[in-house]
Amino acid sequence: MSGVAFVGHCLLNQNAKVEGGARCPGIYSPLVDVLRTHGWRIEQLPCPELAFTGLNRFWAVREQYDTAAYRRYCKRIASAVAVAIDVHIREGRHVVLVVSRSVPRWAYAFTSSDPHRGGRPQWPDGSGELAPGEGIFIEELRSELASRGIREPRIMGITHQLPDHDERVERTRLEVFFGN
Amino acid sequence: MSESSEPGSRSSSGIDPGDKRSYRMALVADGYVNPPPGGLDAIAVLAGAGWGAVQLPDDAYSHQVAGPLLEQVTEQTEEFHRHGYDVVLIGSRTGLGDALAAVGVPPPDRIDPVTAGELQAFLRNRPPPRANLLPD
Repeated sequence: MSGVAFVGHCLLNQNAKVEGGARCPGIYSPLVDVLRTHGWRIEQLPCPELAFTGLNRFWAVREQYDTAAYRRYCKRIASAVAVAIDVHIREGRHVVLVVSRSVPRWAYAFTSSDPHRGGRPQWPDGSGELAPGEGIFIEELRSELASRGIREPRIMGITHQLPDHDERVERTRLEVFFGN
Repeated sequence: MSESSEPGSRSSSGIDPGDKRSYRMALVADGYVNPPPGGLDAIAVLAGAGWGAVQLPDDAYSHQVAGPLLEQVTEQTEEFHRHGYDVVLIGSRTGLGDALAAVGVPPPDRIDPVTAGELQAFLRNRPPPRANLLPD
């Protein structure tokens, strides 16, 4: 077996997405196809926002989630995940993380940011919010891994939430990531 | 699958029409997510049927590792249950029943499938999820 891929919750369960955000009925198959082809073990990460803010949550940007309570909640999840990652690393397995590139709480490489967003949820349709940066959960997970002296896994960001998502390009990226 | 249970079918009543969720998800034992050679790959079946998956912690994990992960599964399942999503169980996981009961979630309908056809038939025969029938 090639290793262990810890994948974002919603990549196996789009029902966890904020309303309007599910891009497929359930499982994001391009990722699973590549993992199976290359013999990777799957470990699904918990969704930090699902239980914290629920299925009726509004779309939100990073600033709205960046609260002390939410960070403590993410740290609790990150601790559970770090312990599991450590089990596999100690057993000599290659571990990687695969998360969304565009979810404000998770995001690797892109997050959602708008310091003025808050209060009554009304803003112009199509107003841009993608910004370079990482999500709160990934920050807390990095911190948790570092505090435990666990080597940080390679991370890949899935693009299917991004407006310029191209499935063919994504499959190529997945092949390169998991094939090497 | 009935028309009312098609992914995103609530869109006619105000839900974002771009949302393709199925309102159906399975709690899946690790052995069906990472099957041994020749074992049933439940993820492939669920993907084909339009269901989501929530992985249960590997039985090989110690209680110290599995406990906090199972706690997360329980919290998330509670949220789906409250909103009328269809939740089923594929396989089993020690401690899951007690954890769900502690938050008031009844035991999900369960299957221990041996073949893909058996699992497909089980999923096909599910009633429409309550979430798809609720008024906004």
